[in-house]
Amino acid sequence: MFYPVAGKMIPWFAIPAAILFAAGMYVGFFIAPTDFQQGDAYRIIFIHVPAAWMGMFLYVLMAIYAGVGWAFNARLASMMASALAVTGAMFTLVSLVTGALWGKPTWGTYWVWDARMTSTLILMFLYIGFISLQASIDDTRRADRAGAILALVGVINVPIIYFSVQWWNTLHQGATIRLIGKPTIAAPMLTAMLIMLAACWFYSVAVVLIRLRCIILEREQNAARFAEVNA
Amino acid sequence: MDWPDLSMGKYGFYVWGSYLFSLLLFVWEILSLKQRKRALKQQQQQQRSSPVSPKVFTGSANETTS
Repeated sequence: MFYPVAGKMIPWFAIPAAILFAAGMYVGFFIAPTDFQQGDAYRIIFIHVPAAWMGMFLYVLMAIYAGVGWAFNARLASMMASALAVTGAMFTLVSLVTGALWGKPTWGTYWVWDARMTSTLILMFLYIGFISLQASIDDTRRADRAGAILALVGVINVPIIYFSVQWWNTLHQGATIRLIGKPTIAAPMLTAMLIMLAACWFYSVAVVLIRLRCIILEREQNAARFAEVNA
Repeated sequence: MDWPDLSMGKYGFYVWGSYLFSLLLFVWEILSLKQRKRALKQQQQQQRSSPVSPKVFTGSANETTS
């Protein structure tokens, strides 16, 4: 029942994602002014920050789905966790690479082992570990269970990433947008960043739904073949 | 509408490099998903036309076992 509904939902997320990406780029490059300290190099934040947020958000979501799948033997939840992993890893990689490309002109180096960057790199390894672990176990139920344990243990890294700039002295700048209090960023810059965040969110939903449909089909095919062989 | 300075001051490589890398990853993700979907459809058609022989079957998805 979920399969056809998911198929119908995909364009409702894919089309707004494309429109929002275009709008975010327009506001970020045509309306947002040049930063007086960083010049135009700061424009990397319009992709870097949303990608970093999505990397963390998708990990938490993946851990929740994996945990639900494990605790309640809900196969759709486990499949959702698998579907989220690749997109989450991709956004984390985007945040690491764009962060390095931002670091070079602003700090003079692509990489330092500072708390924020190191914990984000660990997040990337957690995603890779989750994907590799699931791929290495043939039995899907065992693979889902093993993945869930890793995802749940690794979720502790997300608050570490978020608070790392407060807990340790880091080269990475502190939060410019807070849940409580005014953001320390100009309105057009914030607008562009939020539009790009919305674009990334819509994109994620669309690609995760496509991947989830593929996983459902793959598992059904495998189950059908298994039943056929054992008939 | 004023076009932005495409050289991004002297930071063009870093700014455009960031967006190009992100774009490549998004395109890769979409294309790989399309390919996966196509392969699955082909597999489905093959499965319908010729049932799998037990000797050929190597998959181990035991969705039917507890």
